[in-house]
Amino acid sequence: MGKVIRFKLNGRPVSIYVENNELLLNVLREKLGVVSPKYGCGIGECGACTVLVDGEPVLSCLTLAIEVDGKEVTTVEGLAKDSELDIVQRAFIEEGAIQCGYCTPGFILMAKKLLEENPDPDEDYIREYIRGNLCRCTGYVNIVRAIKRAAEELKFHVSRAKQTQ
Amino acid sequence: MGSLASSSLKQESFRYIGKKTPRKDGVAKVTGRMQFAYDIYLPGMLYGRILKSPYPHARVKSIDTSEAEKMGAVVITFKDVPRKKFNIRLVSVDRVNYKDWEVLTDHPKYVGEYIAAVAAETEELAQKALEAIKVEWEVYEPLLDPFESMKEGKPKIHDKILFGNKEVTVKNNIACRLDYNEGDVEKAFKEADVVIERTFKTNRRYHMQLEPKVAVAKPEPDGGITVWTTTQTIHNTRILISQVFDIPISKVNVKKLPIGGSFGSSIQTNLVTLVAVALALKAGRPVKIALTREEDMYDHCSYQMYFRLKVAAKKDGTIIAGELENIMDIGGHQIQAYPLLGCLLGWFVSLYKWKNIRYKGIAVYTNKVPSCAFRGYGNPQITWAVESIIDELAEALGIDPIELRLKNYVGRGDLFWGQGPTVKSVVKSDGVPELLKKGAELIGWYNRPKPGEQKGRFRRGIGLGRGFHTSGAGGRISGEVIDFTGCILKVNEDGSVDYITALQDHGGGTLDAHAKIIAEELGVPLDKINIIWADTQTTVYDVCTHASRGTYVGGEAARRAAREVKKKLLEYAVRLLGDVVNPEALSIKPDEELGQGVIYVEGMPDKKITVGEVAREAWQRNWGSIAAVVSYRATSSPPAYTVYFVEVEVDTETGIVRPVRVVAGADVGTVINPDLAAGQLHGGFAQGWGMAVLEDTPYDPETGELMCRGFITDYKIMTAQDLPKVDDFIVIFANTHEPTGPFGAKGLGEAALNPVAGAVANAIYNAIGVRFYELPITPEKILKALKEKEGKK
Repeated sequence: MGKVIRFKLNGRPVSIYVENNELLLNVLREKLGVVSPKYGCGIGECGACTVLVDGEPVLSCLTLAIEVDGKEVTTVEGLAKDSELDIVQRAFIEEGAIQCGYCTPGFILMAKKLLEENPDPDEDYIREYIRGNLCRCTGYVNIVRAIKRAAEELKFHVSRAKQTQ
Repeated sequence: MGSLASSSLKQESFRYIGKKTPRKDGVAKVTGRMQFAYDIYLPGMLYGRILKSPYPHARVKSIDTSEAEKMGAVVITFKDVPRKKFNIRLVSVDRVNYKDWEVLTDHPKYVGEYIAAVAAETEELAQKALEAIKVEWEVYEPLLDPFESMKEGKPKIHDKILFGNKEVTVKNNIACRLDYNEGDVEKAFKEADVVIERTFKTNRRYHMQLEPKVAVAKPEPDGGITVWTTTQTIHNTRILISQVFDIPISKVNVKKLPIGGSFGSSIQTNLVTLVAVALALKAGRPVKIALTREEDMYDHCSYQMYFRLKVAAKKDGTIIAGELENIMDIGGHQIQAYPLLGCLLGWFVSLYKWKNIRYKGIAVYTNKVPSCAFRGYGNPQITWAVESIIDELAEALGIDPIELRLKNYVGRGDLFWGQGPTVKSVVKSDGVPELLKKGAELIGWYNRPKPGEQKGRFRRGIGLGRGFHTSGAGGRISGEVIDFTGCILKVNEDGSVDYITALQDHGGGTLDAHAKIIAEELGVPLDKINIIWADTQTTVYDVCTHASRGTYVGGEAARRAAREVKKKLLEYAVRLLGDVVNPEALSIKPDEELGQGVIYVEGMPDKKITVGEVAREAWQRNWGSIAAVVSYRATSSPPAYTVYFVEVEVDTETGIVRPVRVVAGADVGTVINPDLAAGQLHGGFAQGWGMAVLEDTPYDPETGELMCRGFITDYKIMTAQDLPKVDDFIVIFANTHEPTGPFGAKGLGEAALNPVAGAVANAIYNAIGVRFYELPITPEKILKALKEKEGKK
C-alpha cells in the first residue's frame, strides 16, 4: 500500500510513488539519487541524515516519505545558487571544518537553520544547537569556528545590502 | 638522499607547504557530490543481508534455507563458500600471519559472527528471507573474560588455525604470545631507590566511524569482480578477494572511494566485503550489503588490555627498569594480535629509557567482537598506563613530572623502535623539550594545585601526558611489517598534473599534503594538481593508510615522482628553448597570469616555456610522455611527538568531569597543512577524552551480547557540548625538521590521540587526589572513590 506524493526537492517539483512505510531517507537516496543525507544510525541519534522540510531540520531516517507530501525538502545539493556556494558551505571549507565529510551535510543544514533563527549566536548557543549531530573526526572545534565565521559573513552581507538600498 | 637538499629550505620560503589552503575535496563534500561506498547504487543491483549468530559460542547442527529460496532470494551458507582459513588483514608478511577466519562459519565465536547470507530485489525482501532460514544450534558456555578463557579445561574457541601456511593447535585459548628481555630487571629492582608496581585495565572501545561498513560487488563477464567498499587499503582487499575466491588478481578490481571515518577499523578487509563477493558470484548480479549501525558495532572494537607494570628509579630520577605484562582480550578472531604484541613492546620501550626491560605479552581469545587497531594501535592504552605511573614515580621521588620526563624519554639520538622489535631507527628530530616548556607556560603548570588539597564541590586539576606515534612502519632492515608504497604522476597538455595513488585519505587531508608536496617540488600551481580517484587496476601497490604513514611515506613517494617528472620537463625544455646549456640552467615557478607552471631561465624573463607546452611538444615531436611511476620503501619511521596539558573540573556531587582547557603540542616536523593538522589534534583529543571518561562496550555475562545492543543510544561519544570552547583549545607545533621526511615532515594522526587519556587521568588525580587504574573513569567510579577517600579520614 502506498501513494503518489508530490513535493519540492531542492526547488524542483517531484512526484513519486512511495509505500506507506518507506522512510524519507531511503526514498531520497535510492529513488531520487540525492545521497547527501547519510545513514549513520537509523534511530535518530547521529544527525547524519538531517534534511530541511519546509525549512525545519528533520531526521530523514525517522520520517516517513509520505509526510513530505506537498512540502519542500532541502538538502545540501540545493544550497548552492548558480554554482556559487552558500556562505555556510564556504565557511566549512575555509575553516577546515571537514574531515571525512560523512557528517558534513547534516551539520551544514543545522547551521543554516541556526543562523536563520539567531544571526548572532554565541558559542554556547552553537554547541547546544548542534549537539544532536555527531562527528568523530573534528572534535567540533572547526565546525563551531565555521558557524561563527558564517554568522560574521552573513552580518556583513546584511549590512552591505542595507547600505546599498 | 634527495631529502638532504630540502633540509636547507626554510619554512618561509615555501610556496604551499605550511600555508592554509582550501582542501581539494571540500566542494564535493559540502555539496553532497562526494560518493562514499554507502552511496553506490548500481543498475540491477540486489540487496544483501547477513544471518548472524545470536550466540557467543555455538555450532550449527543444521541449517535449512529452503523457505528463503522459495521467496526468490539467493542464499549462501558456510557450505557455499571456500572452506579455507585466512587473515582479513594483510599488512604483515604472510609467514607471520595467524589465519583463523572464514567467510561464513558453522562455528560462530561471538554474537554477530556470520553464518549465512541472502540477496534479493529489495532489502525488505532480503530481510524476510533471512528470517525464514531455520538453524538448529549447539550452544557452548561463553568465555567473556580472558583470565577465565586461559584456564585449563575451558571450551576451545579455536582448535586448529594457520600460522603462515603451517597448521598450529591453539592451547588454552591463547592466540599468540611474545616475550622479551633486556638487561636484568630483578637486579635493577633491588638496586632501585623507588619501585612502583600497578595493574591497569583499559576499556573496549568502538570506533564509531560515521559510515558503517558496506560493500558492493559486481561480477564481470570475464569471471572477474569489481568491488566498492569501505577500506583503508584497496590493494590488500584485492589480494584477499583473489586468494579466498581463487580469482586471478588481475580480474579483481577494487575502487578507491572516500571513507566516512575509519580510525583503523578498515585496515583489515571488513568481512562484509567477502560476503558481498560470494553473493554476487552466486547471483551473477551486483550485490550491495550495507551494515546497520548495530551490525557495525558487532564488527570491530579496540583491543582491551590488562597491564601489570613495574618501574624502578634511582633517587636522582634516573629510571633503571621497566617490566610490563600485557594480557590482551582480542575477541573471537585474530586480526593483528601477533604484530600488536610486538608493537605494544615497541611503544613501551620507545616511551622511556628503561635500560632493563622484561616484557610478557599474551593475546587471548574470548567470545567477543574481534578487536582491531583503533587510532594508535595499543599506543593510547600503554601510554595511559605509563604516563600514570611516571607521575606516581615523580611524586614518590619529589621531582617535577616535566623534569622526570625530560630526563628519561627516548629522544634525539636514541634508538627508536616504535613499530616493534623488527622496526628500528635512530631519532633525528625531537621537539619534546620545546613542547613541554611552551605547554607548561600556556597552561600555568607551575601554579597547579597540590593533589587532593581542594575542598568544595568543583575541583580543578591540571595533568600532563606525553607520547608519540611512528610515521609509518619503515626501517633499515626488512621486518615483518610491510611498508611499501608507490604512485604515478603525469603532466597534461594544459599544464595540470594528475596524481594517481592507491593511498587512501581518511579525511585528515593526507592527499592534500601530497598535492602541496608535488606543487612545491615541481613549481606548478597547487590548483593544477589533480588527485585522481583510481582503483587497483590503475595504481601501483600501496600497503595501507595506517601507522600515521600517509604524509611521511606516501608524501615522500609523491615528492620523488615530482622530481622525476621535473627532470623530464627540464630536459625537454632545454631542447625546445634551443640555446639553454643544460637542465640545471632552468627553473620552474607558477605563473599566475598563465595559470600554470612556467619553465624559465633566471634573470631572462622572456626565455621561457609553459609546462603544458612542453608536455604537448614532447609527444608531438615523438620524444615521449611526461610521467613517472615511483615506488618507495622508507628506511625509518620517525616518532611524531605529542604533549597534552589538560585542565579538568570534577564535580564532586555528580562525579562528572569537564574538560576546561587543553594545550595540545605536536612535533610533526614541517607542518604541511596547518589547519588540517590542528584538526587532527582537535579530533584526537575528543576521542581521547571519550576513552578517558566515557566509552566502553561491556557484555551481558549470560547472553554474551553487547550491553548497548549495538545502539549508539547506549554507546555515547562526545558531542559539541562536551568539549572545551574554541579559545580554550590551544594547538602548538614544535619548530623541528625531520631530515628523512618530505620537506621535513612526519606523521600525526595517531600521535594526536595517544597521550590524551594519560593527561586526563593525571589531571583528575591533581584535582581530587585519587588515581584510577581502570578506564573509562566514569562518574560512578569517581563518586565511589571520593566516598572511600572521605571515609578513610
